Amino acid sequence: MRGVAPSNVAVALTALSLIVATAAQAKDRHLAFVACPIVQDTPTVPCWLAQYRGETYYMGIQSDVSADFNPPSLGHKVLVEGTVTDKTVCGARVIEPIRISIMPALSPECGDLRVVREGVDLGFTPPRPPGPSGGRLAFTPPAAPPTPTPPFTAKTFLVPYDFEGMVGFRTPDALTPALSFAQIIKPSRIEVTGYRGATRLSDGALLVEHEGIARERADEIARMLRGAGLDDVSFEIIAHERPTQGGPELRRVEIKIIP
Amino acid sequence: MGGAGTRGMLGRGRAEWGVFGRWTRVSAVALLAAGIVAISGLRGQPPGAVTPDGRTAAEQERSDWWAPGSGEALPALAVYKNASGHVGVLNTEGPVQTKGHPFFEPIGSNGRACVSCHQPADGMGLSLRSINERWRDSGGTDPIFAMNDGANCPTLAPGKASSHSLLLKRGLFRIALPWPPRNAQGKPVAPEFDIEVVRDPGGCNTDPIYGLNGENPTISVYRRPRVVANMSYVTHDGFGVGPFVGKTGEPALRDPDTGKPLNMNMMADARTVTLKAQMADAARDHLMIVGRLTPDQAARIEAFERQVYVAQVDMGAGGSLIEPDGPPGMGPFNLRDGAKGVLGNNTTRWVIPVGDAWTSAKVGETAQQRAMRDSILRGQKIFHFRTFWIRDSMHLNTVGLGNPTKRTCSTCHGMHMTGMDTVNGWMDIGTTNLPWAKEAPRNPWQTEDELMPLFRITCSRSAQPHPYLGRVIYTQDPGRALISGRCNDVGTIVMQQFRGLSARAPYFSNGSAQTIRELVDFYDRRYNVQLSEQEKADLGNFLAAL
Repeated sequence: MRGVAPSNVAVALTALSLIVATAAQAKDRHLAFVACPIVQDTPTVPCWLAQYRGETYYMGIQSDVSADFNPPSLGHKVLVEGTVTDKTVCGARVIEPIRISIMPALSPECGDLRVVREGVDLGFTPPRPPGPSGGRLAFTPPAAPPTPTPPFTAKTFLVPYDFEGMVGFRTPDALTPALSFAQIIKPSRIEVTGYRGATRLSDGALLVEHEGIARERADEIARMLRGAGLDDVSFEIIAHERPTQGGPELRRVEIKIIP
Repeated sequence: MGGAGTRGMLGRGRAEWGVFGRWTRVSAVALLAAGIVAISGLRGQPPGAVTPDGRTAAEQERSDWWAPGSGEALPALAVYKNASGHVGVLNTEGPVQTKGHPFFEPIGSNGRACVSCHQPADGMGLSLRSINERWRDSGGTDPIFAMNDGANCPTLAPGKASSHSLLLKRGLFRIALPWPPRNAQGKPVAPEFDIEVVRDPGGCNTDPIYGLNGENPTISVYRRPRVVANMSYVTHDGFGVGPFVGKTGEPALRDPDTGKPLNMNMMADARTVTLKAQMADAARDHLMIVGRLTPDQAARIEAFERQVYVAQVDMGAGGSLIEPDGPPGMGPFNLRDGAKGVLGNNTTRWVIPVGDAWTSAKVGETAQQRAMRDSILRGQKIFHFRTFWIRDSMHLNTVGLGNPTKRTCSTCHGMHMTGMDTVNGWMDIGTTNLPWAKEAPRNPWQTEDELMPLFRITCSRSAQPHPYLGRVIYTQDPGRALISGRCNDVGTIVMQQFRGLSARAPYFSNGSAQTIRELVDFYDRRYNVQLSEQEKADLGNFLAAL
């Protein structure tokens, strides 16, 4: 075994400590909480805010279906998961990246719509104003994946979910590539695996999705793929009902398409 | 048909437009203007007054009714008077010989033809005015009053106005749908909710034969006939049509012949999505056809439906909408030539473009024409630019815009040239769901009884609650939910095109807005738009001009 120069060790240790520190910092800055959303109107599009432990946070703005951030709903609480930054928009600290989930239960107490106030502004031009659209969506959709060519191999597609979420307007973005792939390779079998998520909130509480949701999600996705034309394919439904604790990425369905 | 003279005169003149194109329009507009004067002269006369041709004003007024089997030719451009001016029915393939044509012949067993409920004079829809004229003139025997769906319930006494009150007061036909719901393949769908009948003034939902507790449990809802024109827009396969419905994520219905996903914007509940399937549904349920349409009949009906365009052609004294240098979004000729199935906007490709045609006065333009054109331009701007908070509307606020969302009329009514929804879509704006649906006030002094049925929907615990209405919803018409069985579809209705509005009042699927002004008032109330009187008038004129 060759020796390692002390200077290299120092560099490696420094890098490691930086990584650890960054990770720790990121962990410190990670925030997960449930609160009423707040609409703060501006001279252009509204900002969406939320308050937690005395601090007001900025979640995002209204744009359109093409945006990564789609605003929540008054009348419902929102689960906010993300990383706090030092930036400020609309007079509130920005959480970025952010993932929100509209909680299904009605919360009539969540009704705070604030009118335009002097000094509260976006500070940037929104990609999609409330009126003229510019003739396009706010964001360009991702390019379609390349058409698969033989020999085909099994491929897995992920369908992400909001907390307690089921199929919605975003689902086609995830399902369409899977459907296209399957229509080309004519699979022998499709495995659909549903997962149930759990999120540790910043106050220590554990928020768990309802039991059975893994199966419901998998069943629903299989039904949708059949309904979209894969009605002569054999589906295998798998459900992991034991909650997986972690971030939004664990609330999912996996679609494995097998040639 | 008593109106042959009127329609023939105008029709022959305008029939030439389709042959000679736009160059002949100036002279044709002059002919049209003459026609306007001739017809307008009848307005304001008492119904019994005798006109120069020996007919009463009332007879002249109803002369545009197209009876099944009349056998007359429908001109290349037929023009009919309405309260705002005239509507034009453009047949792009030239005059239609209706004799023997399955759209115009009474091919069912109840005397109706397709044209019975898709009248040219009513913009290929059916106006309440026509319905009441037919009731008066036929003593209630016109085929549109057939008991199967032209009465509140088939078991009621024929010939009595009270048996047909939903048709006579709201322009509504009975739509009988199975419970539990069935999908497009006829297979039962397990609904996410229970349904109870809370109020049943028509008597059909509690009827032992036709009702919810009958041998074949059925829900009766009451809806307006939709416009059969501009179908290349209605059935487009452009923007937003894909394997999944962009708003709900659900699989889109597919053409059984090609397997391709289809636009689902034709019927109020999107239960059928091809013209072929729709006409089979209508022939069975509305015409009571014995057997089925033949392939030749179906092909001829579809061919007719795909070539006919409808739009207002003038605003009476307010002037023409189809001058050669007129606004590019007005009139049936522009509809014929417009881009189909594309999303409009308010900068580059307006939902309803008006261009610069009316920004300055034209030679010979009257003060009335100028005033109307200015009003339409203002209304068009309100439609495209006036923001307001759109709130608690299922399948609108739930599709990534947030609730509420600060947007404009053109956000939802976004299809270029028609103001329809471009993507597959149905939504609940409150026309049928309480608390927004129109209901007769209940108090000790009321004289009006509510006409519409009322259902209580209870969403099951295993389903997610409706995001805005919770688990218990009161509705006059569950809309798409009677097909999908989904709790969050309760009260959702597929939006209609904006064309020919002046010819076919009342509006909304349940006829709850008797006039365009009532339609505007609904939105103003529902979304707190805070339109001024002038803005309401301008928006109304803009809509009336479409």
